[in-house]
Amino acid sequence: MTEAPLSGLFAEAERQLVICNACRYCEGYCAVFPALELRRTLTEGDITHLANLCHDCRDCYTACMYAPPHEFAIDPPAILSAVRSESYDRYLPKLPGGKTAIAASALVVFAICALAAGGASRVAGSPYRVIAYPALVTAATLAIAWGIALTGWAAVRYWRDTGGRFTFRGLVPAAVAAATLRNLRGGGADCAYPGDDPSPWRRRLHHLVAGGFTLCFASTVAAAVSQDIAGDPPPYPLLSAPVLLGITGGAGLAVGSSALLVLKRKSDISLNGAGSSAPDYALLTALLVLSVTGLLTLVLRGTAAFAPVLVIHLCAVMVSFAIFPYTKFVHAIYRFLALVHDASERA
Amino acid sequence: MTDWDVVVIGGGNAGLVAAIAARHRVPRVLLLERADSAMRGGNTRHTRNARCASPAYPAAELWEDLSGVGPPGPLAQLTVERSSAVPEWMTAHGVRWQPALAGTLHLGRTNRFFLGGGKALVNTYHRVAASLGVDVRYEAQVTDLSFDGPRCIAVVLADGTRVQARAVVCASGGFEANIDWLRKYWGDAADNFLIRGCPQNDGQVLAALFAHGASSAGVERGFHSVAIDARAPRFDGGIATRLDSVPFSIVVNSSGRRFYDEGEDLWPKRYAIWGRNVAGQPGQIAYSLWDSKVNELFLPPMFRPVVEADVRSLAGSLGLDASAVAATVAGYNAAVRPGTFDPSRLDSCSTEGLEPPKSHWALPLDTPPYFGIALRPGITFTYLGVRVDESARVLLGSEPASNVFAAGEIMSGNILSSGYLAGFGVTIGHVWGRIAGESAARAAVAR
Repeated sequence: MTEAPLSGLFAEAERQLVICNACRYCEGYCAVFPALELRRTLTEGDITHLANLCHDCRDCYTACMYAPPHEFAIDPPAILSAVRSESYDRYLPKLPGGKTAIAASALVVFAICALAAGGASRVAGSPYRVIAYPALVTAATLAIAWGIALTGWAAVRYWRDTGGRFTFRGLVPAAVAAATLRNLRGGGADCAYPGDDPSPWRRRLHHLVAGGFTLCFASTVAAAVSQDIAGDPPPYPLLSAPVLLGITGGAGLAVGSSALLVLKRKSDISLNGAGSSAPDYALLTALLVLSVTGLLTLVLRGTAAFAPVLVIHLCAVMVSFAIFPYTKFVHAIYRFLALVHDASERA
Repeated sequence: MTDWDVVVIGGGNAGLVAAIAARHRVPRVLLLERADSAMRGGNTRHTRNARCASPAYPAAELWEDLSGVGPPGPLAQLTVERSSAVPEWMTAHGVRWQPALAGTLHLGRTNRFFLGGGKALVNTYHRVAASLGVDVRYEAQVTDLSFDGPRCIAVVLADGTRVQARAVVCASGGFEANIDWLRKYWGDAADNFLIRGCPQNDGQVLAALFAHGASSAGVERGFHSVAIDARAPRFDGGIATRLDSVPFSIVVNSSGRRFYDEGEDLWPKRYAIWGRNVAGQPGQIAYSLWDSKVNELFLPPMFRPVVEADVRSLAGSLGLDASAVAATVAGYNAAVRPGTFDPSRLDSCSTEGLEPPKSHWALPLDTPPYFGIALRPGITFTYLGVRVDESARVLLGSEPASNVFAAGEIMSGNILSSGYLAGFGVTIGHVWGRIAGESAARAAVAR
């Protein structure tokens, strides 16, 4: 009560959440409202934590008797989404030229490497006919290290700012909540997404995308194991771990992200809230490009189109690694940290 | 050719349940909602639970609780009996449940909380109604019912449209949002009432029924009200504006004097009398004052309290006479007897030799900072309504109307008299919505 007054988005979030805390009708929907009830006063860190704990299921909005046009004008998903978007930027260093410059430079660097290095392999369908193995490994390592370093730094700053709490007892429920997307279940009522009626599809499609992403990652690991441990260089046959994992993962990613793009479009038409959805479109489109180009390298590996498609796919991968700290992808990191904090403070 | 089998006036829980119950029996059901789709649902938007008899909460105990808040009306017994079937009906019609909300654990046995509260309930019932083929017309304000003897031949809308129906259910709520009507019974005090419920409940349908000779049920000054923050909006403030500080505070009127035992009983059993308590004070205003010892013992209020370092400054900031309030606090502090403080039960902290006493949770106001909030009566709904029989049929004089039925707040005077029991409004809406919907469907077929 004696803290400095909050301003901007935080002041509006506080205005709304104070009313939510006096009402409490929504506490059965997700983790946000029980977490709010633990706090009688709200700091910027508290609000950032609650914003990242919010999974944007929108059940509280459709259930709110104080939603606009009521004069209290309560719309937690919109204000928390705005705070969340802002928090994605806040903890990263501001780089000159922004995301476009990073993406462009990563692309140019990788393209030059690919062209200059050339492939030494004579095996048809082998990636190393297109690009030299050391060039690929160097570029990938640099991009991954850069992405991990940036997000790690941002995550540490976020954790400090939100007064993050960690207990081992909180880790398991947080992991379960993340893996099952419990907070997109609306306490059993499902999400009011893309319209006002409850639907399980956003949660299911998110599982498809996250699962697809994980399988693609597993495919890469399997390929690395085959090549570097088993001594079996690419290309791999259809009935091999890297290819099977890659096909199923790529298909899941492609189908899931396209369907989420369709839902997103419907939701934007029905939604009257604030908050930018451009980063959502960007992430989903990027995942779609990654998965489709990845699948094409498999389909076209016996043809003349293989080399250009592979270069496009690898460029997409490198650019993604280089810019992911500046994309919506980081929602996975902040939201998991918020879930750990939440489970820990209630453990 | 009559357009509809059943027309339901009002889209709160009573109206929605009536429409759904009627649609289970007859094909052509129309629901007239006065609000637009965003603000639909009447006072049900502000509800969160239903108090129903169950194995854990026997009908006899519910009856006892109901009798405890005032003499029950002639249909109270039937309401209690039928209440046990309500939760199952709700579940069967898509309602989801949640544990008792934080801060309401004492209601966990007696009341069932629906997930997301009343607007979620309204949304669920609208989805069910739509899937069953109930037609809904929004922004449909009913101004009159057209009678031919005991039979209603048409419902008249504000735009002049006449809607013909074989049977009509009136579930349009009380008249609490009609300040002129309240003024007839309360005088100028009504100007200081805040209406927690929706602004559409101006009693237009109720007045039309009275004009056509409907018998009344309930007392003129009967209503459910609670003490709410004086800064709450004039209409539609709902749950967030209520204040739970009373049992942990002292409450003074505009002269700085206490006027009622703040610790008479557990708050859930007393919250509903404080609207009336404040309504009885000069200017219909009172002030809840507490100190930092108890500041976090009740749900946080929506509006920030006034905070001052000493009692005199607090009184001044609230616009009260500082000396009068200081004298009241000094007298109260001197009368507080030591005891074991326990917010969860009727504890042993009380005053001695003080009039009025504070029977429980009496702690001296001695730990700065001090907090205060001004209170006004917040009216939820009025009880005066139309008299109905056991089939929810409206009585015109002593004769039953042939095809007009009533459910919910518009007939709550058949059940409630002065006090209120948390969650019973939703129970009344469901029990009588169902009876009225089924009766109307039967009347429509019998024609």
